[in-house]
Amino acid sequence: MDPPASFDHIAARYQGGIRTYLVRLLGHEQDAEDVCQDAFLRAHRAFARLAPNSNTRAWLYKIATNSALSALKSRRRRTTGLCDLDLDTLPADAAAPPERREQLRAVDGAVRALPPKQRAALMQRQFQGLSYAEIGAILGCSEASARANVYQAIKKLRAALDRPQAR
Amino acid sequence: MGVSEKTEAQHDEMIAFLLGDGAPSPATRHWLASDEGRRELAAYGQTLGALDAVYGGTSTRLTARASRHAKRRPSRAGREPARAGRRPAHAARGGAVSAPERRVYYAEMCTPLGPLALAVTDRGLARVAFGHGDAAFAAELRRRLEADVVESPAKLTSVVAEIERYFAGKGRNIDLRVDLAAVTPFQRRVLLAARRVPAGRVVSYGDIARRIGRPRASRAVGQALGRNPVPIVIPCHRVVTSAGGLGGYTGGLGIKKKLLAIEGTYP
Repeated sequence: MDPPASFDHIAARYQGGIRTYLVRLLGHEQDAEDVCQDAFLRAHRAFARLAPNSNTRAWLYKIATNSALSALKSRRRRTTGLCDLDLDTLPADAAAPPERREQLRAVDGAVRALPPKQRAALMQRQFQGLSYAEIGAILGCSEASARANVYQAIKKLRAALDRPQAR
Repeated sequence: MGVSEKTEAQHDEMIAFLLGDGAPSPATRHWLASDEGRRELAAYGQTLGALDAVYGGTSTRLTARASRHAKRRPSRAGREPARAGRRPAHAARGGAVSAPERRVYYAEMCTPLGPLALAVTDRGLARVAFGHGDAAFAAELRRRLEADVVESPAKLTSVVAEIERYFAGKGRNIDLRVDLAAVTPFQRRVLLAARRVPAGRVVSYGDIARRIGRPRASRAVGQALGRNPVPIVIPCHRVVTSAGGLGGYTGGLGIKKKLLAIEGTYP
């Protein structure tokens, strides 16, 4: 395990990754920024009580995820996706054929429709490099349930491929 | 949906396979070879590919898109710079179309594998090369990234610290933002898939090809990994041949062996 590090050191190392995670989870830059600041403030307060040899990264993700989920609850009316997705600005797919665009749109729509906990589990697994054990600890569920959340989310996204997107 | 329990279990095993969580049972393997299985595997591959394309970008691209959604950025400034080779000679004055000046900072660090040259942009780590951070490296950066190149060890302190942590055995999974703006879409998907292989594991070129929904593209996967702009940080060394061979490596096979040895996966 790492030697004890200062909070500033930890914040510097993880803030970028957590901010990106929050954008993926909330689909909104300003919200992500607000939640990120809130989360690091909470983490700073709780840091003294963090047991030595804890998984600092998972601990920070837990605080960030809780902050994000409560922010989502209080702002449910807001659309929570990278929506109005202007696919022309996606360099990876600027030249994508129309079917591919439909797919991207369908999958993005399905991500937006996921329950927040599933969306959190999916983003943690796919993009943040967290293990199912860590995801379980972050979401307060078992490792098996963390995995089930990820798989359930992927099945919903896959089902959306077959549905024409109503816009 | 009304899928049977059996189908449900097969789908779970297929997802596990695509995510690298586990190998399918013989029965599911058999089903995956059927028309239906192949179709489903392709559909899930496309789903994960689409998820990567929309949500897997670097932080800057994601936030740029999200802020467009929030209508906080009415101008086109901040968009992706013009595609390679198409940089406008004279950006319009007044800011509406002018992209911010692109800068890349570089430095050199010492590692047990010899000197490593590193470069970052405001989006993240853009280049890792085995060798010195010298004039030739700077010239390569200028050409590949079409950016102003500045030597600046100060801009790379956190990157160097994270890589030192890796070599000191304190963190086997390097947690750094990367800037993949200069690679092709296919290569980006391959690299992101390779990035998900944790330390202590190896996968085959074919595994990566299947994970990105292009099961027959192993050779192209190998080529894409061979052009990995950020070796070590995107662990293309964890991708080997299905026959048990090491495959190739940009820095030479000696380095691939040493990296795998550090991670305990080279006998």
